Amino acid sequence: MTLRIAEQENEWINRDMPLTFEYEGQQIEAYEGDTISSALWAADIKVLGRSFKYHRARGLLSFANHDVNALMTDGQDTNIRADVIPVTHGMQLTAVNTDGGVLKDKGRYIDKISAFLPVGFYYKTFHKPKWMFPFWEDKIRKAAGLGKVNFNYPRITRAKRYAHCDVLVVGAGASGLSAALEAADAGSQVILVDENRKIGGSLTYDMAADVNTGSLLKQLTENVLNHPNIRVIADAYAGGYYTDHLVPIVEKRGITKVRAGSIIVASGVFEQPPVFRYNDLPGVMLSSAAQRLVNRYSVKPFTKGIVVTANDYGYRAALDLAAANVEIVAVIDMRQTGADGDLTAKVKQAGIAVHLGSCIYEVVPTSDKMGVSAVVVCAYDEATAEADLHQQVVLHCDGVAMSAGWAPAAALLYQAGTQMRYDEAVQQFVPNQLPDGVFAAGKVNGIFELEQRMLDGKRAGAEASRYLGKTTVSPVEVTAHRGNSPSHPYPIVNHPKAKNFVDFDEDIQVKDFINAAKEGFDNIELMKRFTTVGMGPSQGKHSNMNAIRILARIRDLPVEKIGSTTARPFFHPTPIGHLGGRGFHPHRLTAMHEWHVKEGAVMMEAGVWMRPAYYLPAGVKISNQQAVQQEALAVRKSAGMIDGSTLGKIEVFGKDAAAFLERFYTGKFASQKVGNSRIAMLLDEAGVIVDDGVAVRLDQDKFYVSTNSSNAATVYREMQRNLQLWGMQVTLVNLTGVMSAMTLAGPSSRSILSEVTELDLLDEAFPQGAYREALVAGVKARVMRVAFVSDLAFEIHVPSSAGLHVWQKIMDAGKTYGIRPFGTDAQRLLRLEMGHHLISHDTDGLTNPFEAHADSLVAMDKPFFIGQRSLKILQKKPLKKKLVRFVLDTNFSEMPKECNLVIENGEIAGRVTSISFSEYVNRVIGFAFVLPEQAKAGNQFAIRTDSGRMEMAEVVEDAFLSLSQG
Amino acid sequence: MQNVVLQSSVAFAQTSLKPELGFINGMAIANRYADPDVESRHAAKLTICDVSCLSRFAIKGPAAADTLKAKGVELPASANSWSRHDETLVMRLGSSEFLLEDPIGVQQCKGLSEQLQSGDGVHVVLRNDASFILSGELLDELLAQVCAIDLSGPMLADNRLAMTSIAGVSVIVLRQEVAGQSLMRLWCDGTFGVYLWETLLDIIKELGGGPVGFNQFFNSN
Repeated sequence: MTLRIAEQENEWINRDMPLTFEYEGQQIEAYEGDTISSALWAADIKVLGRSFKYHRARGLLSFANHDVNALMTDGQDTNIRADVIPVTHGMQLTAVNTDGGVLKDKGRYIDKISAFLPVGFYYKTFHKPKWMFPFWEDKIRKAAGLGKVNFNYPRITRAKRYAHCDVLVVGAGASGLSAALEAADAGSQVILVDENRKIGGSLTYDMAADVNTGSLLKQLTENVLNHPNIRVIADAYAGGYYTDHLVPIVEKRGITKVRAGSIIVASGVFEQPPVFRYNDLPGVMLSSAAQRLVNRYSVKPFTKGIVVTANDYGYRAALDLAAANVEIVAVIDMRQTGADGDLTAKVKQAGIAVHLGSCIYEVVPTSDKMGVSAVVVCAYDEATAEADLHQQVVLHCDGVAMSAGWAPAAALLYQAGTQMRYDEAVQQFVPNQLPDGVFAAGKVNGIFELEQRMLDGKRAGAEASRYLGKTTVSPVEVTAHRGNSPSHPYPIVNHPKAKNFVDFDEDIQVKDFINAAKEGFDNIELMKRFTTVGMGPSQGKHSNMNAIRILARIRDLPVEKIGSTTARPFFHPTPIGHLGGRGFHPHRLTAMHEWHVKEGAVMMEAGVWMRPAYYLPAGVKISNQQAVQQEALAVRKSAGMIDGSTLGKIEVFGKDAAAFLERFYTGKFASQKVGNSRIAMLLDEAGVIVDDGVAVRLDQDKFYVSTNSSNAATVYREMQRNLQLWGMQVTLVNLTGVMSAMTLAGPSSRSILSEVTELDLLDEAFPQGAYREALVAGVKARVMRVAFVSDLAFEIHVPSSAGLHVWQKIMDAGKTYGIRPFGTDAQRLLRLEMGHHLISHDTDGLTNPFEAHADSLVAMDKPFFIGQRSLKILQKKPLKKKLVRFVLDTNFSEMPKECNLVIENGEIAGRVTSISFSEYVNRVIGFAFVLPEQAKAGNQFAIRTDSGRMEMAEVVEDAFLSLSQG
Repeated sequence: MQNVVLQSSVAFAQTSLKPELGFINGMAIANRYADPDVESRHAAKLTICDVSCLSRFAIKGPAAADTLKAKGVELPASANSWSRHDETLVMRLGSSEFLLEDPIGVQQCKGLSEQLQSGDGVHVVLRNDASFILSGELLDELLAQVCAIDLSGPMLADNRLAMTSIAGVSVIVLRQEVAGQSLMRLWCDGTFGVYLWETLLDIIKELGGGPVGFNQFFNSN
């Protein structure tokens, strides 16, 4: 049997493109443009899934992206929303949350024991007795969640885009289209976004059998699509609102972050179901869902149906269904007063009976409880929400369309900070005070009548234009809603046997709210969490409003006093792949990177830099530890060179340059001679060491300062900040990326360097700490005598564009000396052998200079330097720890690691900060924090290893190299 | 004196593309990657071109503007804008910071480098820019994916330039006409050059474009 009907005027399917797919093992025919649900419904398949908690059979409900009981898996993807995702040829679909298939789901027994699973049962039940909790936890975890995560899901990069516009209009219904046109006509660049594949909103399905609706839709659509100032993004939703009118638009291809000058929210409303027993059976659906089926997909929702309504809208739906030759047995109107006279007349003219002051007391299910066979209609008392069983009639049918009212799709408005109020005229929360630049239009604004909606859109477009400075745009007046309320204040029908569902995501019934309130959870936020209403995948889009109404009645308060909850962004489920998108992870390469790669460098990330950790040239069979030791030995015995381009390099110049450095660093620079370097140690305000580098005086008013590789940006920023604070005449230039640097170290370094420069490198002419400028390999270079990794070493700085050239020339010159490049691992070993600590490695966020034997670098007699005030306080206090050099006992059993603890009398006394075996020294050497009383040379202390062993170490005073030198 | 071959900071990223190399201002530069027709198609669709080899001169300090004026250089009136002095591109990065760039065959920057030295209130600044041309009909789509601000509108109109972030890297950007084509110029710290080239080229290729060599926009012969 097929429920597909003849072609409708504005249908969204392409009958020229038939396709087939599989659902639960059954072959289904469909058309291009069908959603999964419309295709299944057309094939008379109405059980589209099982509910989350009770595993009840479920069909269509909203048909508007909120049917969370109709989620599918197609092998790779899961939780596919069948109501809106287009079906494609060859899909192989199964419903999620079933065990054994959607029709024979083994989990359906839970529905039979639902009486034993009252509201909040999982909060109260499973922790007693305590020993049973693991058992229940296992069961609950297995039952929780929908769909199965595919851990082999491919990583698909989704671009994240930025877009900009004057006016962003969210929602392309009658009001949104009008708003977009008004703003665009005023000269604004407009982006119009809508979650549907085609724009038009309710104009595409809510016709009330009026042919003029189609003409209006066509006219508005053409005007918008042809307007040069309007960009339409369809099949996408606005996921949230962020400060300064930033709205992420979620499309299938990824997220576009739209920064708008102003925003018009014309997002419409979500239809709300009336609540009666078995309102969840397949075949019972919202009236708007039935209209969408008929008018967009040319599918009958049922063959013989009932419309139950608590507003005028049900009459419109009945007319649409009747026009599509769906037999409507009756319109059951829960109101005593009925609908607008014209609508009632049209319905009656269509041969449809109207029952005023009536309700569906319960739906009579089919024998398999997976469909509708009849409804029990009773007289209804709106004041008490009770059905009068003495006045009942059974009407046979195979489906029900239900209308009770609307809830505003106001998530973006809430997120933007809109104050809402409850409007009794429309029984709906509407904006009371909107933030600057945010406007609301149409149904979300409480305007329902079509002409007024269009006018309201025009008004919002005009207001947005005026907000953007287009003051010549005339304001537009809109008439507030008159006539019957579009929403019923309490569309609930009490039933002693319950199963009158309020929340279809979580299977929450009216009694659950009553019981929750009895237990004291009678605040909307508490009730939400205790009952879990609104916490399912649809986030309460069709349940929150009824929940608020029920709570208001329980507490005998006006709805406005109950308040509402705020849906946080993203207000609709968004794929993690979209949120991640294409990631940007900037990294820096030195000018010599290509050379390092060719020579087998194993690269490591050092902050944003890529640096060689060590070199394993092709064909060389050594371990990484061997490589490190060999690189270090090369430096000790002949020469090695490391790429130091990552060092921070900052030029400080101006008449206050020396005075600036005196205030910025701990040492003295005013007396520093041109051509000399000094260590520059930087503290923070608390006296903690944050960086150490070298300051070279290039001229009386010009310094060249280096920083640790990872601190360049921080130090430069601090310099800029303090410069502003101190108001000194200094200019800063960050040359970190401009200058390549390399350190040539080892006893042969002087000989090697002399082959590529005419600079006098002898000690007398170029002593330790000196700075010279000279041509190196034909390139103007800055050369420093340094001693960080070796007693004899030269740091050579050249413009980056010549970095590779100079590096290659020096390596060529060093070949006969056995020069080797060395990486950061060897550098760490070499500086350890030299007895130099590394800031941020051997020190931490609490270490002051007194603890790191850096007293000599601190000129306390200066009038001021950053951190001096704290040091003056610390100076008067006893030290708590001291950084010492140590050698490990030669008879150790287990090599300690960095961060292993120093133990003294069973207590933690410190920790290892650096440790390594040195082939050159032939000992395990390191740095450790110990108690001050343990810091004396020759003192023994214990280190606890990972396995708990105690290994002994001895404090040494001199550089470790002296151990090797005897 | 040794023969110094300068390297574009982006050279490492271009090696695998096996470009036809040329030498501009002492720097090895990719003149061409593919058949001229292919490169022309790329240039029309969406492309990136490494022009790091162009000569530059930068100066900073409270006396920088007066120093340049004294050398006869016409300056943009306001910060974050650019102008042409003869054919040299003059960018005013702040009230007291300037970056100049010569096209091929112009020696303005070289002359200034030789004539001017750091002194009282003025500092000649060394630079190591990776510099690209971005162009093609899909340029705005590329920018939409890598930059949070709107570079298609008035931001860069009327000879304005912007210092912003593209794909997470700080850059200077402006729009100009080269060889009759409207395009975007971009400068960044050279050590980010390889990353930015690879990141932009990935997206460019996704969008159907590709790289072009220096010869696409300049005649290096």
